[in-house]
Amino acid sequence: MAEVAIGIDLGTSNSCVAITRGKTVEVIPNAYGEATSASVVAFDEDGAITVGNAAKAKIIHQPTRTVYSSKRLIGRYFFSEEVKKAQAVCSYRIVEGPNHSVRIQAADDQYSLPEISAMVLKEMKAIAEAHLGQSVTKAVVTVPAYFNDNQRQATKDAARIAGLDVMRILNEPTAAALAYGFGRGLTQKVAVYDLGGGTFDISVLEIGTDVFEVLSTAGDTFLGGDDFDDRLIDLMADEFSAQHGINLRKDPFAFEKLKVAAETAKKNLSVDDEVEIRIPDIARNEAGDLLAVERRVDQQEFASLVMDLVMRTFKVCDEALQNANVTVRDLDGVILVGGPTRLPMIRKAVGDYFQTQPKTDVDPDEVVAMGAAIHAASLTSPEQTAYLLDVTPLSLRIGVAGGLAETVIERNTPVPIEQTRTFTTFQDYQERVKIRVFQGESRQADGNERLGQFEFAGFRKARRGEVEIDVTFAIDSDGLVRVTACDRATGQQASTEITLSSGLSETELEGILEKGDTDRVQTATPDGVSVQADQPDTPPPPAEDELETLDDADLDDLEELDPDLEEDSLELTDGVQTPPAQMRGDALEVDADSGNPADPVPVETDTPPTPAAGGDGKDVDARDAYLGDGGTDLAGGSARDREPESK
Amino acid sequence: MSDLAPTEILALANILDELDYYQVLHIDPESSAGQVRQAFHASSRAFHPDANRHLDAAHRGAIARISKRITEAYTVLRDAKLRRAYDDALREGQTRMQIAEAEAKAEQQASAELEGTTPNGRRYSALARQDVARGDLKAAARNLQTAITFEPANTHFKARLAELREEIEKERRRARGAL
Repeated sequence: MAEVAIGIDLGTSNSCVAITRGKTVEVIPNAYGEATSASVVAFDEDGAITVGNAAKAKIIHQPTRTVYSSKRLIGRYFFSEEVKKAQAVCSYRIVEGPNHSVRIQAADDQYSLPEISAMVLKEMKAIAEAHLGQSVTKAVVTVPAYFNDNQRQATKDAARIAGLDVMRILNEPTAAALAYGFGRGLTQKVAVYDLGGGTFDISVLEIGTDVFEVLSTAGDTFLGGDDFDDRLIDLMADEFSAQHGINLRKDPFAFEKLKVAAETAKKNLSVDDEVEIRIPDIARNEAGDLLAVERRVDQQEFASLVMDLVMRTFKVCDEALQNANVTVRDLDGVILVGGPTRLPMIRKAVGDYFQTQPKTDVDPDEVVAMGAAIHAASLTSPEQTAYLLDVTPLSLRIGVAGGLAETVIERNTPVPIEQTRTFTTFQDYQERVKIRVFQGESRQADGNERLGQFEFAGFRKARRGEVEIDVTFAIDSDGLVRVTACDRATGQQASTEITLSSGLSETELEGILEKGDTDRVQTATPDGVSVQADQPDTPPPPAEDELETLDDADLDDLEELDPDLEEDSLELTDGVQTPPAQMRGDALEVDADSGNPADPVPVETDTPPTPAAGGDGKDVDARDAYLGDGGTDLAGGSARDREPESK
Repeated sequence: MSDLAPTEILALANILDELDYYQVLHIDPESSAGQVRQAFHASSRAFHPDANRHLDAAHRGAIARISKRITEAYTVLRDAKLRRAYDDALREGQTRMQIAEAEAKAEQQASAELEGTTPNGRRYSALARQDVARGDLKAAARNLQTAITFEPANTHFKARLAELREEIEKERRRARGAL
C-alpha cells in the first residue's frame, strides 16, 4: 500500500486529523463521525485510559483524573506563570518533576506533558488508521506560531512517543494559509487570525502562487477560548457566592460542572442571541437543600464580559502588522482560525479592525489540520508543490553579565538562518565560558524563556581581548535552534542542540518508549466497544538526521543565574548595539567553578580540556557541554551524531 | 527543486562567502524591493530544504548552507535602511554582513544624518535650526533645502523639510482665517 502521511492539529481543547488524497483534502472523522476530538485524557479507576470526546464526558464525574488543556503546560518550567495559573483553575494535580519540569499526577501515576500529548496524538493516529484501513507513521504536526523552542521540542517528543515520525513541526497560521491558498494560484497578502482554546496567534503572509511567505507573526500564549469560559465561570461563581455564601470553586465537582456549562453557553452564543444556563443540584446549603445555578446571558452581556480579551488580540495584531510593514488596507483578506472565531462578536470585531469581512469559507476548526495534511502530502510526493517560508516568532538571545540578554537573531527573521556574533575573553588567561541561550523580547535575561546552556572551553589561553570566540545561532525550517561556539584561532568548537526542557531527557524518553505505557489507551471503535489500541510497540527509528538531545544531567540548576562574575567574562567584540561604556555589562558570564574569578588564571597546561579520548565527545567536568576536539567540523555532523553520555 | 547538478550544489556552497547578497539572490544591485522579494521566492523554490530532501546528507548540508545564506541576503536587502548599510560595506569589499551589524550601521547612519554628513550639510542644517529658534520657518526651509543639495540621500533632512513645509502651510491658513 502506498505510504500515507497525515496532518494533525494538536489543539488545546480539540484536535483534528486530515489527509490529502489525490487533489482533495479531507478531515477524518472519529468513530462517532465527529470531525474533532477533545484533547482530553481520562485515567479511569480500573486503570484504563480514555482519550477524546469520551474522556471529556468524564470531566464532571472524575475531575481529578481527567486531564484537559494540557497544551498550556507543555514545554514549560514548573515555576512559570502559566503553570501557576493552570494549577489555580485545573482540578487535576500538577506537580513538579525533575529539573523543574512539570508532571501530571493522575491517580497513582505521574505523567510528563509529552506523554499526555502523545496519548492524544495516538488517538488521532488511530482515528486515521481506522478510517484508512492501514497503518500510519508519518505526520505533520502543528503548533501555535508563538510556541518557543522548548514547546516545539516537547511536541516533537510527544509525537515520537506516539509512534509518529514527524516530518515537520508547522505553525498553525501558516498551515491555515496553506489550506486557504493552496492550488489557487493567488497573489495576495493575508492575515491569519487564530484564536484557539488556549493561545492567540496572528500571522501576516504574502502568498505568491506556490510560495507562502510569512512576513511577521505575533501572539499571546496566555489568551484563548478558555479565558472566555473563565469569565462566564467567574460570573456564575461570584453571583452564587453572593447569593448563597458558598464558594463553588472549592468543590472540584461543582467547578467542573460550571466549566462545562460555561463552555456550552459560549458555544451556543455562536448561533443563539441568548442562552440559558441551568445547573441543578450543584451544591447544598446549611439546611441541606439542593441549590441550582440559573442564569440567562445574551450576546451583549457576553460581549461586555470578554471585550477586553478581544481588544488584547488587536494589540497583538497591531504589532504583527507593524512588523510586517503593512497596514490593514494592504491586506487582501483575513482568515479566521479556531472555535472562538465562530462567535458573532469576534467576527464583527475582527471585521471592524481589518476593515474587511473575514473569510469564512474554510471551517475554523478544521483549516489547520487540512493545511498540515497538504504539507504532509507535499513532503511525501516526488514533486514539491508548495514552499513555506516562515519566520522565528521570538528573538534568540545570549546571556551576558549583569543578568542581561543580548539579541543574536531578532524575532520575525525568516528561517532557516544562521547568525554569528563574536566575543572575546574578559580576563587574562580565562579558561572557559558558559553560553546561555534565551528566547524572548526582554533585555533582562530572566524575563525570557531559558532554552539551555553549554560550556565552551579549550580555546587558546591568552590575555584578555586576544581570544576571539564566534557564537553561532542557527534556526532550521522546523524553528528548532542550534548553537555553536568556535575559537577563531584554533577552530575548537562546542555546540548544543537546544533541547533541554521538553521535560524529558533522552534517557527518560527511551524509557517511556520501551515501557509502552501509553498503550493502555483505549481506542473507540465504530461499534462503540473499547478495545486495546492496535499499536506497534516500537516507534519507527528516528529519522537519519534526528539529533540527540542532551542528557537530563545536562540541565543545570536555574538558581545559577547569578551574573556578577564580570571579571571572568567574555565581552562582545563586534561592538554591535553596544556603546563602549556598556562593554562591561555585556560581558558573557562564566560559571562560578571555572577557576578563581578574582585571580587571573595562569596557563597550567597546554592540554585541551577534551578528555584523552580526544574527539569522542566526552564532556568536561561541568557536564554541560559537548566539546569537540580541535578542528572538528560540526557542520559535517561528527559532533552532533555523538551519543549523549548516560549519567 | 534545484536545477543544479549535485556537484554544482557543493561548489556553490563552498564559494558562498565570496558572493555578495545580490549574487546570492541572482539580482542586479539596482533591483527594486519587489524584485528582491521575487528573487527570494525564486531562490527558495530552487534551494528550499524541503524541495531537496531526497538528496544525500552531504548535499542536504550544502543546501542548508545555501538556503540560510539566501534568507540572510533577503533579510538585509528587503529593508531599505539595512540595504544602504550593506551597500556601503560592499563598496569596501565586504560581501557578508551580520544582520545585527547592519542594524547598528543603519542606526549610526541615521544619527549621523541628524547633524549632517558633509561640512556644508551640517552648516546649513545648523542655520535652519537657528531659523526655527527665531521663528522664521521660511528661512529655515530655504536653508534645509540648501543642505539637501549637499546631501540628497539624507532622509532625516527630507523628513524635517516636509514637516517645516506643513507647518508653514498651517500658519498661512491660520493667517487667512484671522483675516
